Amino acid sequence: MSDLTLADAPPRRGSWLGDWLDAWNTFWFTPADPLPLAVVRIFAGALLTWASFVWWLDAEAFFSHDGWQRPENVWRMNDQPWQWSWYFAAGSAGMARVLAGITLAAAVMLTLGIATPLAAVVSLAGLISAVNRAPLNVFGLDDTLGMLLLAVAVGPAGAVLSVDRLLAPDIAADRPSVRANLAIRLIQVHLCVIYLFSGLGKLLGASWWEGTALWGAAANVQYRTLDLTWLASHPWIINALTLSTLWWEIAYAGLVWPRLTRRLFLAVAVPVHLGIGLTMGMMEFGLAMLTANMAFVPAPVLRRLLRPLLGRFAGTASHRA
Amino acid sequence: MNRGRVEDTGMTSVRPRTVSRSSWPPAVRMAVSLMLVVYLAAVIVPPLAGPPPASDLAMAALQPLRPLVGALFLGHGYRFFAPNPGPGHSIQWTMKMADGSTRQGSIPDRDADWPRLLYHRRFMISEKIAAFVPPPDAPADVRQQSRGEWQPVVKDVAGHLLHRYGGAQVTLQMTEHYLPDPEELIRSEQGGAEQGTDTVTPLGTYALAGAQPLTGLVPPAGTANR
Repeated sequence: MSDLTLADAPPRRGSWLGDWLDAWNTFWFTPADPLPLAVVRIFAGALLTWASFVWWLDAEAFFSHDGWQRPENVWRMNDQPWQWSWYFAAGSAGMARVLAGITLAAAVMLTLGIATPLAAVVSLAGLISAVNRAPLNVFGLDDTLGMLLLAVAVGPAGAVLSVDRLLAPDIAADRPSVRANLAIRLIQVHLCVIYLFSGLGKLLGASWWEGTALWGAAANVQYRTLDLTWLASHPWIINALTLSTLWWEIAYAGLVWPRLTRRLFLAVAVPVHLGIGLTMGMMEFGLAMLTANMAFVPAPVLRRLLRPLLGRFAGTASHRA
Repeated sequence: MNRGRVEDTGMTSVRPRTVSRSSWPPAVRMAVSLMLVVYLAAVIVPPLAGPPPASDLAMAALQPLRPLVGALFLGHGYRFFAPNPGPGHSIQWTMKMADGSTRQGSIPDRDADWPRLLYHRRFMISEKIAAFVPPPDAPADVRQQSRGEWQPVVKDVAGHLLHRYGGAQVTLQMTEHYLPDPEELIRSEQGGAEQGTDTVTPLGTYALAGAQPLTGLVPPAGTANR
């Protein structure tokens, strides 16, 4: 049974199971730079702040007893009793607004990195409470934010680029950690699952095979924020956009990992998600998906890009120390 | 404790053996690994189990995971714009006020629902209800059978509208906005054949019954559609 240990050990050549365990250990438990997670925290926190503000604007309609969906009917769209929500315990309009405000405050704190571990947990609880209470009003943005916030709650998301870091400078705080790696890995794997099933689901539809599906999105007046009906005269462009989106989604789970193809797949994510955001009025969803894609950007690249900002944080921290 | 900086987050297919190794004890890694396996199952199984088509195996695998999937909001199919991007929907409502006047509105309302995210949240109401409502030309038994699914949801929406605007009675209808294909749009713009028309499905008339708001909300006799 010694082959089954997860302890550090030199590679066991010839042991297939040992190689798998070694690969599992390396993948999940190698310490990683917390910077990518901190960047994800800032973007996810900002998106949650905006989303929470919009929930709060009409909190009575979304969450109160007299809202779009009465609490006793939520089971028709959710898997009760598992999909809990703190709004089930507070049905008045005033309490709905207060609880939505708590999520909003936690999201602001998370973005800035104030009491980050607590802010992350409250933000996640606030998001889950909102979406579980108002299933009639939920869409892909919420799925993606849930994935991001869970990872942010698991890892040391406030170790860098945070007020926490400024107020309590800990020289070791931004060193590689296993928790940082676990959190980023959770996003990476989950994102691959999302793209894979999104792509496979599209294979059930004839319009994706025919290369006409994006017309259905472009011509849908309810979604449209940018008039793309001029594409009607350019069917090959519709074909190319449809097929490239489809195969990019399906291939993402495999080809985002090798260095050779990673940049290409991350680069394509930008026009795909910004395009959806700009033309279909779902910019928040697009930005949330791009934030998730940032989990694949190597830490050294982020350090290079953010060097001036990181230097300012480090300078302030060491000055205080 | 090894605190050497890792230069990559392990996204390469071949990984050098010289990278930092975990400082966590084997027992901790074992426990976390078990949690990871369960969590990954809770991420992967829901999209396998739905929306249809789905296998009995995936449905069975989902059962023990339901508490975790529900608690962490992981029950997603991720079928964005699948299998085919379809037409959009909206719900038009006409409300009779206590003073006899009428008020009209739409869910969503492109002019009134701002910011855009608020519009999208309300747009989801019509899209999700549309998923339950069969078209008007569906067989009578299908329409009858589906009513038990969509009418309680529509009733809640009607109740909210009555509560929000202080109305006495509200009538709702679902509009499926016609989605022209490219050739049809070009012909229409060139002055040729007219485009198809929107499909309208009545959703019923609802009123507050008695002094108790909403709990007494019922479709008045003879006005409930289909």
